[in-house]
Amino acid sequence: MRAFYREISKNRSLYILALPGILFLVVFAYLPLFGHILAFEDFKMSAGLFGSKFVGFKNFEFFFGSNDWITVTFNTVFLNTLFLGIGLPFSLVLAIFINDIRLRGFKRLAQSFIFLPYFISWQVIALMVYALLNSSNGFINSVLLGAGLPVVNWYGSPGLWPSILTVVNIFKYAGYNSIIFLAALTGISEELYESARIDGASRFQQVLKITLPLMRPIFLIMLLLGIGRIFFGDFGMIYGIVGDNGVLLPTTDVIDTYSYRALRQVGNLSMSSAVVLYQSVMGVVTIVFFNWLIKKAEPDVRLF
Amino acid sequence: MGAAARVDYRRKSNGLVYMSVVYAVIILFAFVCLFPFYLVLLNSFQSNKVLNQEGYLLYIKAFSLDSYAYLMEGKQVYVSYGVTIFVTVVGTALATAITTMFAYVLAHKKVKYRNIMAFLTYIPMVMGTGLVGFYILVAQWLHLKDTLWALILPYLLNPFLVFVLVNFYRALPYELYESAYMDGADDILVFFRIILPVSIPGIATIILFYALTYWNDWWLAILFINHNELHPLQMMIRSLMSQINAAQYVSSGTLHVANVPSEGLKLATVCITIGPIVFLYPFVQKYFVKGLTLGSVKG
Repeated sequence: MRAFYREISKNRSLYILALPGILFLVVFAYLPLFGHILAFEDFKMSAGLFGSKFVGFKNFEFFFGSNDWITVTFNTVFLNTLFLGIGLPFSLVLAIFINDIRLRGFKRLAQSFIFLPYFISWQVIALMVYALLNSSNGFINSVLLGAGLPVVNWYGSPGLWPSILTVVNIFKYAGYNSIIFLAALTGISEELYESARIDGASRFQQVLKITLPLMRPIFLIMLLLGIGRIFFGDFGMIYGIVGDNGVLLPTTDVIDTYSYRALRQVGNLSMSSAVVLYQSVMGVVTIVFFNWLIKKAEPDVRLF
Repeated sequence: MGAAARVDYRRKSNGLVYMSVVYAVIILFAFVCLFPFYLVLLNSFQSNKVLNQEGYLLYIKAFSLDSYAYLMEGKQVYVSYGVTIFVTVVGTALATAITTMFAYVLAHKKVKYRNIMAFLTYIPMVMGTGLVGFYILVAQWLHLKDTLWALILPYLLNPFLVFVLVNFYRALPYELYESAYMDGADDILVFFRIILPVSIPGIATIILFYALTYWNDWWLAILFINHNELHPLQMMIRSLMSQINAAQYVSSGTLHVANVPSEGLKLATVCITIGPIVFLYPFVQKYFVKGLTLGSVKG
C-alpha cells in the first residue's frame, strides 16, 4: 500500500492526466457489471437493484425453458460463422489482389470504393437493402420482372436471410478487413517473389507458396478476434435491417436483438439480464478456450 | 534456349490469366460497393410518382426536387442535423481529449501501473459490459434519458483507439522526453508542449474515428431517446422507414398532409446524412488507413 502511494505521488501529474479516462472506465465499463445481479432477481424499478426480491435461477429457467434460447444461440453462432468463414477469406483474397495491381491510380481508386461502405451507418445500409429488395418497388424485383422471372418476396422469406446478411456484412467490412491484411502484405519482402520468379514460379504459385503461408499469422489473429465475439450478434446490422419484422425472426433473431426486445419492448429487465449474463459467460469461455487452443497449435500466434 | 523461351512464354500467359482475374474481381466488387450509393442518390431526384409506380430505376425518368423541398420545409431535418452536429462536435472533442491523455499515460515508461491499466482497458473490449446494467446506469443512476449527454458520454473512451494511440506514442523517440526532463519540465507540461504537437498525425486518426462513431450512431438514441426533437439524423432515417405518418414526423404537424413524397423522403434524408461523409472521404481516408495499420500491430 505504501508503494502504491509512493508511485501515485511520484507520478502525480501523469495520473491526473489519466484520471478522466479511469473515471470513464469505472463508470461505463465496470459499474454496469452490477447489472448482472438482476439476472437473479425479480427486478422492480421502485425497489431498485439492491432492494428487489432474490429469485435464484428462475429467470434462467424461463429462458432455457422455451426453445427461444436454442434459436437465438444458433442464429448468433451461425451468422457469425458465415461472416467469418466467408468474409475473412474474401477480404484476404481482395487484399492480395489489390496488392498485385501495378496501376497506381486504379489501385487507389478501387481501394477507396471498396472501403467506402465501412463509413456509413447500418441505418443507411438498411435503406439501401430496402431499396434493392422490397416487394412493392424494389430494384431487384423490377429487374427480375423485366427479365420475365418470378419475383421474390425477400422480406417474407426467412430462409434467404443468412445469405443476404452475409452479403451485406461483406459489403460493409471487406474493405476494412482487407486494409488490415494489406498492411501485412506490404511487409513481405519483394526478394522472396524475385527468387521465386527466377525459379519459374507462376503468379498463382507465388500466392500459394509465399503469400498465403506468410499471411497465416495475421489471418489467424483476425479469425481469433472474430471467434472471441462469436456469441455477440451484430445488433446494429440486424436490428437496423430486419427491425421488428416478425416473419424473419426464426433465422435472424440473435442474442443481442432478443435481449434488447426483452429490455425495451417487453420491459422484463431481469429476463434480459439473464440472457446477457448467459452471453457474457459463453463469451469468456470461448475466448479462454480458443486462446488455449491456438497457443497449443500455433505457439507464434497470440491474442493476449 | 528454346526451353527458356517456352518457360518465359508460359510465365507471361500465366501472369496474364492471373492479372485478368485480379482486375475482374476488383472491378466487380468495387461496382458492388458503389451501386447502392448510386441507386439511392439518383432516385432521391426521381419524382415520387415514378418511384411508387415503376420503382427504383437506373436513370432519372422524371427529375424532381420535391423530396428535398418537402424535407426542407419541415422542422425535423434541421432539428436532427443540429443534434447530430452537436453530438459529433462535442463528443469528438471530449473523447479526443480524454483518449490522448489516457493513452499517453499508458504509453509512458515512468508509470508503474501502466500495464494493469492497459489490461483493465482491454477486458471490457473483449467481454462487453452487459446491456441491462448499462441501461440502468444511464437511465436510472445517471438520469440521462432524453438528454443529449446520453448520446455523448458512453463513447468517450474507445479501447481500440486508446491502443492505436499507445502504439503511436511508443514509436516516438525517447530523447524527446529526456531533453524536456533535463530542463526540469513537469509531466503535464511535457505532454502539452512537446508530445501533443508531434502526435498530430496519430491524433487526427482518432478524431476521425470518433467523429464517424458519433455521426453514425443510433444505438444510443434507440435506447435512451424518446422525444423527436432529440432525434439524431440516423434516428430520423429509422423513423421515416417505420413511421406511417411521415408528414407529421417531418414537419412536426405544420405541413400539408396530402401528396407526401414518403418514398423519396427517406432517400433524401439518407443523402443529406451521408453527404458530409462522402464529401470528406477522399481527404480523410488515409488517416483511417493509418489508424487501422497502427492498431493491427498490437503492442
